[in-house]
Amino acid sequence: MRRERATDGKAVFRFSTGLEIPAGNLLAAAGLVVAAILLAALSTGLGRTDTGVSDLVRLFLGTELSDEQAYALWTVRLPRIVMGFMAGWCVAVAGALLQSIARNPLADPGLFGLSQGAMTMIMLLAVIAPGAPREFIAFAAMGGGLAVALLLIWLVGGERSSGLSILLMGIAIQTVLSSVDTLLLLYTPPETSYALSDWIAGSLFGASWPGIGSFAVVFVASLIGIFFAGRALQAYDLGSEMAMALGEPVGRSRPVLLVFAVMLAASAVTAVGPLTFLGVLAPHLAGFISPAVGRPRLLLSGLMGGILVVAADALARGLLGNLPLPIGLSLTLIGVPLFIVTLSVSSRRR
Amino acid sequence: MTRRSLVLASTPFVLALAFFANISLGPGSISPAGAIGALFHMEADSYEGAVVLYQRLPRALIAIYVGATMAVSGAVLQGLVRNPLASPSTLGMNAGATVFVVAGAYLFDFGMTAQGMAALVGALFGFFACVAIARLAGGSADPRGLALILSGALVSILFIGIANAFLLSDPARRMDFLGWVTGNINHVYGDRLYAFWWIGAAALVLLAALSRSLTLILLGHEKAASAGVRVDLVSNLAIGATVLASGSAVAICGPIGFVGLVVPHILRPLVGSNLSALLPACMVTGASVCLFADLCARAAFHPYVLHTGVLMDLLGGLVFIVIVRRFYLSGSARGLA
Repeated sequence: MRRERATDGKAVFRFSTGLEIPAGNLLAAAGLVVAAILLAALSTGLGRTDTGVSDLVRLFLGTELSDEQAYALWTVRLPRIVMGFMAGWCVAVAGALLQSIARNPLADPGLFGLSQGAMTMIMLLAVIAPGAPREFIAFAAMGGGLAVALLLIWLVGGERSSGLSILLMGIAIQTVLSSVDTLLLLYTPPETSYALSDWIAGSLFGASWPGIGSFAVVFVASLIGIFFAGRALQAYDLGSEMAMALGEPVGRSRPVLLVFAVMLAASAVTAVGPLTFLGVLAPHLAGFISPAVGRPRLLLSGLMGGILVVAADALARGLLGNLPLPIGLSLTLIGVPLFIVTLSVSSRRR
Repeated sequence: MTRRSLVLASTPFVLALAFFANISLGPGSISPAGAIGALFHMEADSYEGAVVLYQRLPRALIAIYVGATMAVSGAVLQGLVRNPLASPSTLGMNAGATVFVVAGAYLFDFGMTAQGMAALVGALFGFFACVAIARLAGGSADPRGLALILSGALVSILFIGIANAFLLSDPARRMDFLGWVTGNINHVYGDRLYAFWWIGAAALVLLAALSRSLTLILLGHEKAASAGVRVDLVSNLAIGATVLASGSAVAICGPIGFVGLVVPHILRPLVGSNLSALLPACMVTGASVCLFADLCARAAFHPYVLHTGVLMDLLGGLVFIVIVRRFYLSGSARGLA
């Protein structure tokens, strides 16, 4: 590994295999990982039971904890943090992917209605076939998200339309679907109905180790996907014509990337409910810290997304104490002002 | 007889039909004839009379009030901000009023009258927030008003989120507001209607008085000014009146979205853009639409009773999609951009 200067004068690390990583991105990634670990440590200490990261270390060193502390740490707080991070990661990567393939800096699985589509599909399934297996639900969610994506493409007519009108269309679809959700909620059995309305708001209350286990599959898949998609996205960011000129089979790879993005968003919805605004915020914040393209951009966006969810959750628990604010809601409260700032910055750049 | 006068003449009959349908149809053993008889009898001396007078009549009157004020506000706003998607719900007024009412009730224990005032202030605040964010987000180059509608949607999402956070903070009081926040036409809000109806009535009278000047403003500010209209004064007064109308409607039964968006679009091809004709038509038809939506919410999903706001969101969202497609994505509009 050698430290060199790239053609644009920025420092890069070049490996013997030919792999090149810009030094700034590597540094930013390291910083974000440290920040994530610090946040997670801080977050384990928040809550009614008096325990924290020091107890967790002692637990690993073999000291027995009191039942209450072990329960708070191991059954409540840690799953919540891990699940939040992974869901945030997936939504942020999905947002970054969508932004590249739609060539729209404001693309977001939540704002485009993809999350809502996945949710409506899950609700439909809960009404029609209440006892459906878990894997089936995940596939149904993906189908719902894809259906909304296709509907959106059909309604706005490909990529000719301007960025804001596709956003308006997404919001319109979202309004319709959310009222359909409310209708469906009437027909679910009472005990599912309560669980569902909790989940509609987007919450980490239900996080558990088995749930994390099945979600980890998606997380690993996202890493593999990032590895393959990174190069293509680098070409996409230059525009479809340029991408084709560079040898990117746009006609074939665009649908694959769309399915990948929808899969990430839909599985996050299945796990924790919709996380709106995260998909647009995380890539922009990551780009603000360290501008990147291709794989580094996706990885940094994912890290940022995970951090945002853990931070929003910690903030809601730390500031509001016992008020059970769902993560979807706290992300909205933080996300809208930041989104407005993003809008104004991107309009000034235009 | 032209089509326009035909439509104008038929709207009151539609309203009458909607009103009697709303009063006479419903679960229970009351026959339509009995219900209408009880309505004319006007005394709660029997079971039928009590149900009709204390439950169905307040409901119907609230629906009429909300439909009329929202539809008229929508028609005026669509003209003034020159945007086919403008309405009290898409410009942040409804959400602003909602969050102010909930915040007032939770933080300062507002009674009913104070909640009404909070709704009016909130509607104004929501509108200003929407305009300010549109300036910030769209810069100066926003020829088709996309940024305005987008910022309205963002303001609504944020305010409704804040309102929900308030609701979660106090589970005991949550049940009082849970139905209200989603827009619920319900007879228990009858006393609110009794307290606030004059606000909307005053706003409607003001808008009717301004309708000729507003129509001239639609033709262009210079033309209106040369015809002797004080453009700024009239515009501000009209926006103030729409804020009053929509704020008071929210104070009564919560945010019922999209009536203000949908109804003017139904009527404009039939009646034309002249507000002297469009406003009365909107008022009457908006009331009919709300009455039918309320009836549908009550009867269509029997045995469940749905909130009218949910049904209007469903209808309004579909119309929203059609409007975005027609005005922003059609070939001619794309050429303008």
